[in-house]
Amino acid sequence: MENGTLAKGGRVDPLPEPEILEGFERLIAADRLFGAELNASVIKKSGKGAPFLVRRPPSRARMLEIWRDLFANRVLPQDLLDALAPEVLGFTHEDGLLLFGKDRVLYDCRIFRANEPVGHLTLSFYRELEPVFRFLPFPRRPGLRIVYIEGISLSAQSTGFASSLFRFYERLFHDLGFHRFRLKASLSVGKYYWAKEGFDCEDRKQFAEMRENLHALVRRLGLPVEEQEIRRLNHASRIASFRRDLAIPVYRNAEGYYSVDRDASHAEEFRFPLGKAFLLCSPPWDGYKVIYTGTPRRTGFVWSERFLGHRTRPGHVESPRRLEALLAAAREGGMGESLIFLEPYTPAMASLHAVHDPAYLDAFREAVARGDRKFVVRDCSISEGSYEAALLAAGGVMAGIDAVFSDRADNVFCAVRPPGHHAGRASAMGFCFVNNVAAGARYARSAYGVGRVYILDWDVHHGNGTQALFDEDPLTFFCSLHEHPSFCYPGTGRRMEKGAGAGLGATLNIPLPPHAGDREMIEAFEREVVPSIEAFRPELILLSAGFDAHRDDPIAELECTEDAYVHMTRRVLEMADRHCGGRVVSVLEGGYRMESLVSSAIAHIRTLQGREVPPCSSARG
Amino acid sequence: MFVGPRMKRNLVTVTCGATLEEAARLLKTHRIHHLPVVGEGSRLEGIVSDTDLRNATLDGTPGGADRGDSGRPVSVGEIMTRDVVTLSPGDTLDDAMLVLSRGRIGALPVVEGERLVGIVTKADIISALLFTLDIGGMGVRIEVFLPRDVREVARLVGALADLQTEVRSIVLAPHGANAYAAFVRVATIDVGSLKGRLREAGFKVPEVAEFLE
Repeated sequence: MENGTLAKGGRVDPLPEPEILEGFERLIAADRLFGAELNASVIKKSGKGAPFLVRRPPSRARMLEIWRDLFANRVLPQDLLDALAPEVLGFTHEDGLLLFGKDRVLYDCRIFRANEPVGHLTLSFYRELEPVFRFLPFPRRPGLRIVYIEGISLSAQSTGFASSLFRFYERLFHDLGFHRFRLKASLSVGKYYWAKEGFDCEDRKQFAEMRENLHALVRRLGLPVEEQEIRRLNHASRIASFRRDLAIPVYRNAEGYYSVDRDASHAEEFRFPLGKAFLLCSPPWDGYKVIYTGTPRRTGFVWSERFLGHRTRPGHVESPRRLEALLAAAREGGMGESLIFLEPYTPAMASLHAVHDPAYLDAFREAVARGDRKFVVRDCSISEGSYEAALLAAGGVMAGIDAVFSDRADNVFCAVRPPGHHAGRASAMGFCFVNNVAAGARYARSAYGVGRVYILDWDVHHGNGTQALFDEDPLTFFCSLHEHPSFCYPGTGRRMEKGAGAGLGATLNIPLPPHAGDREMIEAFEREVVPSIEAFRPELILLSAGFDAHRDDPIAELECTEDAYVHMTRRVLEMADRHCGGRVVSVLEGGYRMESLVSSAIAHIRTLQGREVPPCSSARG
Repeated sequence: MFVGPRMKRNLVTVTCGATLEEAARLLKTHRIHHLPVVGEGSRLEGIVSDTDLRNATLDGTPGGADRGDSGRPVSVGEIMTRDVVTLSPGDTLDDAMLVLSRGRIGALPVVEGERLVGIVTKADIISALLFTLDIGGMGVRIEVFLPRDVREVARLVGALADLQTEVRSIVLAPHGANAYAAFVRVATIDVGSLKGRLREAGFKVPEVAEFLE
């Protein structure tokens, strides 16, 4: 399962073309490289010996061009063939071929187990323009590199081979610089399982039909489900987890197929949650899944001028300049073009009342209207634009959540202020007024029916406001990494604070001693945060991303660098890919030294985009 | 601080005649470690702890002076401590702390004359300390080392006032022969600026609090 001979994507110089050409010649001589018909439907297997409608390879120049375009000359043809054929769980690839189409390269092989043929596999490597760029008048926009599984068939089921192979491929294709890995399957059995794995209907018409069938079933059984709830469903995985509170009876026959109706053959009764029961009883459908291999993702950036309207008194460290500096850096060097800028909105008061007492918000509004210079405590310095900015910051997180659920973006960074994680149900403190992340978590639940939300807070201060709001909520996991409360504001977030009531165990506090740096932070993250995310299986991950644990930040005594933020971001994305379709919404909290705030946040955003981040420069020396 | 306001008043007690099993059950049900033993009119006669009960069930461990027929103790009266250290409501928490710090005692019954009116345990003392130092409250503690001169203390308080610091608590402790350590708990997130200003004003503010913990 090693691919040692392959270059890591983007890190090694291209190989000289003569070497690649020589590689082609060797494979042609060994009858392992051909040309192929362009129309994918013409390419088909026809038994042993002559498996393909194959042709003579195209011209050498054309082959080199395709190779450069798809693989950036970072791999030799023979090495690619070897890397594509790992032995997994006793399965081997035989008769592996490379085929050159007009714009793509195909890999075709037969799969053997214990010297017996058990199936075949065809992969297709090609490029596609990103939808957002398609209509822009730039001739040489970088397209997405895509690997598509044209076909896989296996006579043996449930061996774990396919999923092990795909996991191996995911890594390999990432290293080769491919962005997406698409799988297609006809889902006749195990539909519920496939949906949980992220497979969706191949075309929208099919999905609309499925939704209609679900609707009919709900009507027939007279279940208490709103029509709207069904209309909001937009992915098979969301049907799979739909209304887990409603269990309905289904009947299984001897072959293991389910039906909602009991008859002579379907006799054995089971009770399953509505979504699961529906999928088990639905007709077969064609499914596909896209695996994001970790190179460019579409990252949203929430930002508004009006955040600057919250002006703190002179000398106050939480100043509008923080955002101005961050925005300037985000627009620099082509980064702005790669981000999807999203506009925040002022949220409905009802959605804020889910986290704050109406009387508290009223008092805040009145204090601002009266022209007060502070609200409750001196830390919470205010100006005439503060109320609007604070509401808009919460609305920014909601806009970010809208974007990841409507697929406008894969993940989002919300460059909002004032920060929010110290704000409680009726308390302003530590520069915070409205708890942006908490309001977002509640909104995700009410607007998109999200069950489990994981909030990771790596601001140097404990997110006491967020913790208190979700103390008794078992579905919202709150995890905070911060400087130890005996040394650092606000004096909470001790290890023994683990949640209360039904939420006991859904709070994890990891205090770090003063002067802890990247090593301690990353160790604690790997040792405790990673297992807790894996075990919780979130449907959405929210980050309270403060950057004040940086060694150059004056407000506290941790000594992290950009490297820690990059590491944690990358790992969070990996887990988000596995559990929740990559949905991560990151929300700015603290960070009070301009240089380290900007460099850390930019490194974080670049990592969200799946781009390489140069090793930390600001601090090392 | 007087003992009266801090002691527990709703008491779980037993009588001399109660069996060991009854006593053990009471400790378990109420999740406590000590049972005052009372007679008529809440007169305190002794105290029995979970340690006493445990020892009494072990072979060869001396219990009280009297033994049942089998030679093993059966009633609370046989194993209780009769020579009880007690407090009165007019004693202070300092008294309680000094007694408890000598060890071997976990709880002090509070009596008025002979009548039992309350009990003070180690946990009560700890919560009184937490309350006094405001350790559970929102804020952050900073330390300032001062020459042992009360005018320096006044200067520090003046500086905090000038900086409009929101002070939650101040504790002043001796620090060596010639200095004080002042522990100031403040309700601001921006302690970096506060420390900087205090240093500018000539105060010795160590980088990280490491005195008490």
